[in-house]
Amino acid sequence: MSRLHRVLVLIPAYNEAASLPAVVGALRLRRPDLDVLVVNDGSTDDTSGLLRELGVRWLEWPDRRGVGRALRAGLRYAARQGYDLVVRLDADGQHEVDDVERLLAPLRLGAADVVLGSRFASSNRSHDPSAVQRSLGAVLSMVTRRTVTDPTSGFWAMGPRAVAMLAEHHPGGYPEPELHLLLSHNAMRMVEVEVQWRARLHGRTSLTPVRLLGAGARVALALLIVPFRASLRSGHD
Amino acid sequence: MTDRVQVVALAGSVVLLLLVLELVRRRRLAEEYSALWIVSALVLIGISLRRDALDFAARWLGVYYPPAVLVLMLVAIISVASLSFSVILSRQQRQIDRLIEENAIMAAELRELRASDRGGRVGAVAAADVVADAAQRGAEPRPQ
Repeated sequence: MSRLHRVLVLIPAYNEAASLPAVVGALRLRRPDLDVLVVNDGSTDDTSGLLRELGVRWLEWPDRRGVGRALRAGLRYAARQGYDLVVRLDADGQHEVDDVERLLAPLRLGAADVVLGSRFASSNRSHDPSAVQRSLGAVLSMVTRRTVTDPTSGFWAMGPRAVAMLAEHHPGGYPEPELHLLLSHNAMRMVEVEVQWRARLHGRTSLTPVRLLGAGARVALALLIVPFRASLRSGHD
Repeated sequence: MTDRVQVVALAGSVVLLLLVLELVRRRRLAEEYSALWIVSALVLIGISLRRDALDFAARWLGVYYPPAVLVLMLVAIISVASLSFSVILSRQQRQIDRLIEENAIMAAELRELRASDRGGRVGAVAAADVVADAAQRGAEPRPQ
């Protein structure tokens, strides 16, 4: 497409002061053309102070509200500032900056509304999905009638239609599985793209067994409810 | 004995009604949330007064001890009230979410506007100014 797209990289961060500078640094170095917005979700470490030194855009609030709400706020910012495309990547450094363009490519061509970076799409992958990821992927594939190989991936790219819709309606909590249901229910065109992944630079996942149980319950509820919701208007213009 | 139950139920319902009205009068309870309580109190008063209605309801339900119907109604009222509280809570949560996010976005836009005003890089400075500005306006800058 001849039109030049404005792209925002959206990074939700909770206590990621240890890895955030490396992630932002890699983006600055290899993709200086992209604007970066970090959403600091009430971090209790040094993240807040760090944002003022990194030279990025940022949003923040005092208390932790969950990654889903952080993303919704970031998408609302993107919509308001007139960005066409948004790439979401994790602050822990597990996503390769070089893969960003692979995610953007289908959007630039207008061939998709949402592109999902899958760590498990290829057969020669370095890691295998866990049993939980595998079964969740199977359920989501069945319900959305397309193959979901990486149901918990946090590496997404969104086009204008998806940005407009999700700026209002991005699910909260651990939102990724519910996002699949929402997007599918609202007829968003979605493709998976294979991406590399590395171990987290620092820290561990915030998904404890108790939270996993809560997230699972919420996904189960979403599976029952989302198909019966009215379609969202902003997704159809 | 059943008479005493009746009297206590009546007194309780009247007290509930008066309490609700007084809270509304003092603006401690918003009108839109008082409707449920006023209707409930009136129904309880009606049932306490009309013993035959209570007996009829008990017979219809197959309850042998009519005042138990009063308890049943009370449970129903409290359940409906709790559910409506959850709905109100969800709505307020949504409103608060929206406010927090709008506020964060506006703070960012202000920061970027100021940075571009003095020709600086977006997001590089101006945090201190935002706090200073908030303090000047009498708002409380957030701790940390």
